[in-house]
Amino acid sequence: MSKVRRLVLDVLKPHQPTILDLAVKLGDLEGVEGCDVVLNEIDNKVENIKITLEGPHINFDEVAAVIQESGGSIHSIDKVSTGKELIEEANTPQDITARWMR
Amino acid sequence: MKLPSIRTLRKYHRIAQVGEIARRYFAMNAFDGVLTILGVLVGGFFGQVRNAASIVTLGMAASFAMGVSGFYGAYMTERAERNRALTELEESTLSDLKDTDIGHASTYATIVVSLVDGFSPFLAAAIAVSPFFLGDAIPVETAFYISFALAFAELFGIGVFLGSVSRERMILSGAKMVTAGIIIAAVGYLLGTTA
Repeated sequence: MSKVRRLVLDVLKPHQPTILDLAVKLGDLEGVEGCDVVLNEIDNKVENIKITLEGPHINFDEVAAVIQESGGSIHSIDKVSTGKELIEEANTPQDITARWMR
Repeated sequence: MKLPSIRTLRKYHRIAQVGEIARRYFAMNAFDGVLTILGVLVGGFFGQVRNAASIVTLGMAASFAMGVSGFYGAYMTERAERNRALTELEESTLSDLKDTDIGHASTYATIVVSLVDGFSPFLAAAIAVSPFFLGDAIPVETAFYISFALAFAELFGIGVFLGSVSRERMILSGAKMVTAGIIIAAVGYLLGTTA
């Protein structure tokens, strides 16, 4: 079965614990080699963040448990990369049209 | 139930911002404790109570009462406030936060604040009463004077602590606290001489 090599998640979490604590916990997980957390939006009580994880074999259940323990909830899985090699999204003509229309 | 590690407790301490609340409750309740016991001691002195055992009973009963009152009062209040804040947050996150770091941090904060609120008046009062534990080893009048000195020293100490927290002049802050003690002594004297 192929392993998850890259994972991008959209997460909503309270301000505490901070993204610093969360990123450290995620980075410590077995199978995760790199973790990136970006703040997208923030309001009085909660913040919306994007979590990017890369590693040889990311365990989604463990990642979800860490996020839940920190009070966060996964709103969506925005990107997944699996297989022996990390590849990027292929560009198609439709992408250019969609971008232009946006 | 597994006890959390020191590292985890420090994390909860940071998340729940316990330091500020604990400092406030410590100063406020220690001040209450000292002034209450000073009232008991002044009343005892000017009321001509000259039995060390009686003062110990009166003083320790008052100290325990303040400790229990402080603990329970703070526990119920802090628990209610923290639960309310957590419920409000759950309305934004749309998830149950009870078993999360923030939920555990709220429980930690409630316990710590209650312990501070209970122990600070108890210890402050017990320290002031402590000379009377020596019983007949020292004259009762001497024990009273040492108790008064300890109480005023505690008041000054609380003032200095608050002065350092607010970064104001510590000696002045200490002196302000001692003034409250002097007022109590004056009232006790008046009650003792007019009764």
